[in-house]
Amino acid sequence: MMNGWQLSRLPLSAKVFCTLFLVGIGCGALAAFVQASTAVGLSPTAVEASLAREMPMTQMQMHHGQMSGEKEITLGEISSAAKVWIRTPLLIQTSHTHLFGQTLIAGLLGLIFLFASVRESIKTLIVALPFVGTLLDIGGMWLTRFVSPSLSVLVIAGGTLFALGYALITVIALYDLWLRKERLA
Amino acid sequence: MKIPCRLLAAALVSLCLVAPARAHITPPVVLVSDRDAVVSLLAGARRFFVREVRLTAAEKQAIRQQTGWTPEDDFYRFYIGRDDQGRVVAATVFLTEFTIHGPVRVAVALGPDGKVKGATVVELTEETYPWVKPLLDRNFTREYVGRDARGTFAVSAGGGESMAQFYGQVVASLIQRAAALYETGVIKRGDAA
Repeated sequence: MMNGWQLSRLPLSAKVFCTLFLVGIGCGALAAFVQASTAVGLSPTAVEASLAREMPMTQMQMHHGQMSGEKEITLGEISSAAKVWIRTPLLIQTSHTHLFGQTLIAGLLGLIFLFASVRESIKTLIVALPFVGTLLDIGGMWLTRFVSPSLSVLVIAGGTLFALGYALITVIALYDLWLRKERLA
Repeated sequence: MKIPCRLLAAALVSLCLVAPARAHITPPVVLVSDRDAVVSLLAGARRFFVREVRLTAAEKQAIRQQTGWTPEDDFYRFYIGRDDQGRVVAATVFLTEFTIHGPVRVAVALGPDGKVKGATVVELTEETYPWVKPLLDRNFTREYVGRDARGTFAVSAGGGESMAQFYGQVVASLIQRAAALYETGVIKRGDAA
């Protein structure tokens, strides 16, 4: 409850609005799931393969000052996967669109959730999840590329936090909107 | 507020469904894998090598003067195909241009003389694909076969479609850059044999 406002007391039009918004975001998340699985992959290893900087295959890897190197390879060493390799300019594009987009989604989810009938401490925790998840998600991409490939786990963790926040907000909000019984004073 | 167990279970199921969904990236369209592009462009090769080249400041400057493009990558990788006698059949390099609509990536094969032997668009985006497809359908990169870095790399989209013209020129420029890279980073160093 916030200043006497509760989801359960909203007029029907507002309840329908909130419900359809939450459902729509859920559908978008499922579409993003499919997109991520096909374009990048859903494991830290797959994220690392798409985001980490390209390393030399030759002895240049060991001798940074070396100007050239050559070695024989088999065709099996060349990537056969039609996977996206995200280079820095694409990372910049992705960051700017997704930071705006995900933050707006997190903001609208949070706005609905502010009127849920949940203890303030729990509300504070849950409402922060999509925001923190977004920052971890996008920040993890940059850290994977420029600090350590092993930090690709942050991208998965960020996505999981965002999804956890969405799931909790949606379930609690839908319960409040349609199932919560008003307590008579 | 007390949340019923069934609702918590539903939340967890939803979580399992959407948890990894945020690891998403707007996907470019990958038309062909790197391996398939190399196999196709180095047809006739029996052995395959990787040659990686770091350019000096002077080499970068030479390429910039030749093409108007400054190479910025830490190193460039050429896939080199050789015959049974160890002679170079061709070398393939992948180059990317990042446009406002996303990346355009091209694989270019170059002969030991530095002339273009073939080129394949390997990756672009959903937005650019419809613009480039008419050019791909008429295999427009064939027009550049036999040209070296000093050749003309203009494109004619057939009139009317300005975006096709624009992206055709992006691809043509990438082919020229590849030729300049090979000439400067491999041939002029005496490493083409």
